[in-house]
Amino acid sequence: MKKLTGLERILTTVKHQEPDVVPHFDSVAPNVREAILPGSSYEDFVEYMDIDAITVSDRRQTWSYKDLGTSKSGRPLKQCQWGATIQFTGPDTGIPMEPAIKSEKELDSYVPPDPDLSWRYEPLKRLVKRFKGQRAIIAGCTDPFAVARENLYGDVEYFAAMIKRPDIVDRINEIAVNYQLRYVKNSLEAGADIIFVNGDWAMTKGPMVSREFTKRFLAPHFQRIAELTHSYGKICFKHTDGNIWPIYDIIIDAGADGIHPIDPMAGMDIGEAKAKFGDKVCLLGNVSCAFVLVTGSVEEVRQEVKEVIRKAGKGGGLICMSSNSIHSGVKPENYVEMVKAIHDYGKYPISI
Amino acid sequence: MTVLSEINRGLIEGNEDVVVELVEKALNNNIPAKGILDKGIIPGLRQVGDLFEKGEYFLPELIVSGEAATKALELLQPILEKSGTISKGKFAIGTVQGDVHNIGKNIVIMMLKGSGWEVADLGVDVSPEGFCSAVAKGDFQILGLSSLLTMSMPSTVRTIDALEAAGLRSKVKIMVGGAPTTKQWADKIGADGWAKEAPDAVNTAEALIREV
Repeated sequence: MKKLTGLERILTTVKHQEPDVVPHFDSVAPNVREAILPGSSYEDFVEYMDIDAITVSDRRQTWSYKDLGTSKSGRPLKQCQWGATIQFTGPDTGIPMEPAIKSEKELDSYVPPDPDLSWRYEPLKRLVKRFKGQRAIIAGCTDPFAVARENLYGDVEYFAAMIKRPDIVDRINEIAVNYQLRYVKNSLEAGADIIFVNGDWAMTKGPMVSREFTKRFLAPHFQRIAELTHSYGKICFKHTDGNIWPIYDIIIDAGADGIHPIDPMAGMDIGEAKAKFGDKVCLLGNVSCAFVLVTGSVEEVRQEVKEVIRKAGKGGGLICMSSNSIHSGVKPENYVEMVKAIHDYGKYPISI
Repeated sequence: MTVLSEINRGLIEGNEDVVVELVEKALNNNIPAKGILDKGIIPGLRQVGDLFEKGEYFLPELIVSGEAATKALELLQPILEKSGTISKGKFAIGTVQGDVHNIGKNIVIMMLKGSGWEVADLGVDVSPEGFCSAVAKGDFQILGLSSLLTMSMPSTVRTIDALEAAGLRSKVKIMVGGAPTTKQWADKIGADGWAKEAPDAVNTAEALIREV
């Protein structure tokens, strides 16, 4: 088979057809990139490693932040565009400490950020200019459930309101989804090939909320994003950590074209996922970034990549990735080996 | 149905108003505060924990039940203190350095408070020195170290080492927990207890306090 471009490779596998080789992309921490290709930009790095897709992170590259000084522990504190206070432990690791909305009165007078500001789409447009048609261009989109829960209303308050004040949850979700629909539309019109919806629906143990609540509060908003994406003829992936066995059908019915990362730490076996729903969606995962990529040897990394491809590669429908991201604790040499192993073992027809 | 079993049921249903009303009714009927706690609230919370463990309850149900128990405890606490009934124990908890995840820790706090523990929230991204200072200053029996990231698990080890180095290790029982942790890991790093999920934290704390 002729050598496909990264974009063609991903489009082929999403259609459950076999491309030339199993595709790969990942979010790679700056320190790992720097160790592999010192002084390079993210774009140069993607080219150097021959990664099939390149991503814009909405949180990092399209949201605005205001400095609020430092926390008690000396970490940077920022106010995100939604109004939440975020504490950072690293350049890419920020967790909302205080939500934007603390009462119904504040909800009544809440003014959401403007998704149409042109600067938000500059990073995406730069990627489109350089990579269009060659590598898949992915616009990351934080799940409205995550924006609403983490940034707008706070975890505990949001979960409690699902039972006590579902009307408030609906209003907050609507704020989040209206922004994200506009952001997705603008991103697709700017040239994104894929919308990658980030935000967990599950924990290691199982789903965060019941199937009933998943259908009532989570899925409809993701579905609107997936439908909008499909109306442009583009692809929508859904990320959620955790054990999704009890709700994977809801994610698929809502319109996901692929599910990431088939979390091995939560007992998700990619072979089992392939058997149960691998014919309906593309599987994105699941080389462990909790264990093998952090503490394993390069040989162990190769073995795990081989296993993932052996279990889930046949017939297409697999993008081999880490089980979350190539975070700052991943050994750079292990990531290099992972990509090499994908290119070695992932050649179609799979013969392992 | 007795008022205590009604409290029990109110907690399982996560109905805060009903639980508060029933606790007031029980106090008016001269049921001792300790009896309300031990026979009404704690068994109710335990059943909520069991339902969570079985996958029948999820975070919203766990949280509203925890909130209802916390409200009930606010009514009972002054009476328990007046009657000289001491709390189940003193528990300090924080998320370890490099990790700012809050929710697991906050649910553990809610469940512990609802079960009659005094709990000090040390916050998130707490340095080993921060934990040492809290242990040195407070008279806690149990220290909870929460980590939600694989990356922050080494901070748990550094915290235990710092407590050893400061001569404070024997002052507290150490309990660890969080999504990436395991019982084997907890044993390996020298923790005294491990909680798989938030509701387990109450059972583990109760087992540990018996050893103090």
